[in-house]
Amino acid sequence: VILGRVVGEVWATRKDARLGRCKLLIIRPQGIYEPRWATGHLVAVDDVHAGVGDQVVVCLGEPARRSLGAGGGPGPGAGAGRGGAGQDFPVDAAVLGIVDRVAIDDGAARSSTGAGPGVHRALALWQGEVAPR
Amino acid sequence: MMRGTIIGQVWATRQAAGLTGRKLVLVAERDADRAPTGRLVVAIDTLDARGGDDVTVAFGSGARNVIKPGPDNRELLCDAAVAALVEGAE
Repeated sequence: VILGRVVGEVWATRKDARLGRCKLLIIRPQGIYEPRWATGHLVAVDDVHAGVGDQVVVCLGEPARRSLGAGGGPGPGAGAGRGGAGQDFPVDAAVLGIVDRVAIDDGAARSSTGAGPGVHRALALWQGEVAPR
Repeated sequence: MMRGTIIGQVWATRQAAGLTGRKLVLVAERDADRAPTGRLVVAIDTLDARGGDDVTVAFGSGARNVIKPGPDNRELLCDAAVAALVEGAE
């Protein structure tokens, strides 16, 4: 799971049928993760009704795909109950939740075995960006 | 699995189905020499880990098994979970 911010939405009329009514969001991952996420954006399906500007946690990989079609959300639905939850959906990222607050344990983050140089500052900046809901 | 230190907590009231009320923690990864790598992940915590705790984090289907073992956990939207609180390592 990674932290990120919703920076846009994607509309696609012609798409894989299994994506159905899935809402697609453009997410800017917080740039303190692995280098491969540092500058890029990713597109994730959204079942929790996140909006542009929201800070979110995003689930990646196979669990994101499996969760679709399991009910409880507006997911694609079409494949639910056929061969297990969402296992054949063309999806590898899903919004897990909308972030209200991030609390950093200062002592742990600054210690020699904590977050490492630069990360504490990046997190503090990111916290400043989190708008009160 | 990944080895890391808990450095904070994330609150998200609106969460995907099946994960409501689960505690999310921020984990900073460390390498074999205990030095931080700069990589951070958010993980679901069922073990009540605290800031500064040394933990291992399981990813993928292993993470789902931490939260809900068994074959019927495939709908869980979770790709990282705290699997163990490390007390010592050699």
